[in-house]
Amino acid sequence: MGKIFDLSFMISTIPPIVGKLPVTLWIVFLSGAIALVLGFLVAMVRYFHVRILTQICKVYVSFMRGTPAMVQLLVAYYGIPIFLRAINASLGTGFSVNGIPAVVFAVFALSLNSGAFMSETIRGAMLAINAGQLEACYSVNLSTWQALRRIILPQAFTNALPALGNSFISLLKETSLVFYISVIDMMAQAKITGSRSYRFFEVYIVVALIYWAVCFLMERVLALLERHVRRYERGIVK
Amino acid sequence: MISIRGLEKSFGDNRVLRGVNLEIAKGEILTIIGPSGAGKTTLLRTLNWLDVPDAGTITIDGATIDATRATKRSIKQLRSKSAMVFQHYNLFNNKTALENVTESLILVRKLPRAEAEARGRQLLERVGLSDKCDTYPSFLSGGQQQRVGIARALAVEPKVILFDEPTSALDPEWVNEVLAVMTEIARDGMTMIVVSHEMRFVRNVSTRVVLLDDGHILEDGTPEQVFQHPRHERAVQFLRQADLQ
Repeated sequence: MGKIFDLSFMISTIPPIVGKLPVTLWIVFLSGAIALVLGFLVAMVRYFHVRILTQICKVYVSFMRGTPAMVQLLVAYYGIPIFLRAINASLGTGFSVNGIPAVVFAVFALSLNSGAFMSETIRGAMLAINAGQLEACYSVNLSTWQALRRIILPQAFTNALPALGNSFISLLKETSLVFYISVIDMMAQAKITGSRSYRFFEVYIVVALIYWAVCFLMERVLALLERHVRRYERGIVK
Repeated sequence: MISIRGLEKSFGDNRVLRGVNLEIAKGEILTIIGPSGAGKTTLLRTLNWLDVPDAGTITIDGATIDATRATKRSIKQLRSKSAMVFQHYNLFNNKTALENVTESLILVRKLPRAEAEARGRQLLERVGLSDKCDTYPSFLSGGQQQRVGIARALAVEPKVILFDEPTSALDPEWVNEVLAVMTEIARDGMTMIVVSHEMRFVRNVSTRVVLLDDGHILEDGTPEQVFQHPRHERAVQFLRQADLQ
């Protein structure tokens, strides 16, 4: 039995694990961007009660919120190849299943997951805006689209920002599941590095600290962004 | 200039407007009074289609809209004739005082930014707020916000300005500054329809008073006629109760 806690080993595992930080960040960035667009579209459909689409969006949101992210990742990982094979068989196309990197499945599943949560955040933020704002737009003859773009959505974004920040932070942490579908991210690298020496505790401490550090940076950026978007609000004396 | 015929509006089982007919000439300062729930605000809001009537026609300055056959275009045309000043100001929270005024100039009238801002500054000066151009609404007092609201309404160069209880959410000391601005606009010949129980305005500025009760027009005449010689017992009751005589 060696040391109880091997500090020098722990430090030595930092470079390989940090080396996979870009993979994690790319997944967060891509999934986050797609989720934001998706969430916005779903929120608009539901805000305006678009027929048929509203029902589809409700089912989508319910399913994504009602099933674990890990299950969604696995369903995407095993499901998309089967889906492609079915298409190939019925249409005679030649999509290569093996050519798709696993990270694509990860981004696919995580964007759909996060987009569902974000859509509710954005929809709620839009509903929270006083009807008087829209009425004022109409009273000076702005179109609905102009009203949304200039008045409603900027205010909704301000309202939504704290909760959207939460979604981004959750997304960062959910990327740690992608090693289940053979993507080598920070978590996967930590497992690999740990298994070489059977010192898992040290590597998990390292990986935890890196997640926390990234999260801390995200919080700082969000705080700056929030200060900017809330410039028109009068602060409350605390 | 404004013609309202057979206007009907229900919210569920509640018949708020029961066939209102009203003709308003250019330059009239019409005040609508009446008990709570009489349909005053609803009547005002149908004039720019913020409330959609169930039946009837509205004509403002040649733009006619039929409740049963309203199209996007006819709604837009109707709205281009009027502007509204709201009880709770409803300034665009994310825009400065100046931007509140210039928004329609830039987006609807398509003026170049510089020209719109010059016009916006002029209008804010007219309501006595030239030093607040770059201030956001949340940093303005109620009276100042309402004056920005009036400047925003003037910016669209409407044929008529609709005032929905413009002073009833204001502290007493701010009422005067808003009334002063409204009086000045009235003197300049603007047609105004005002839902208000502000007697100083009604007596000194209004040229005509309409008393609405239960979705009907009960009294219609000069302030003198309506307040001193109401023709209906119900009107006498209301005026006495509301302490308006």
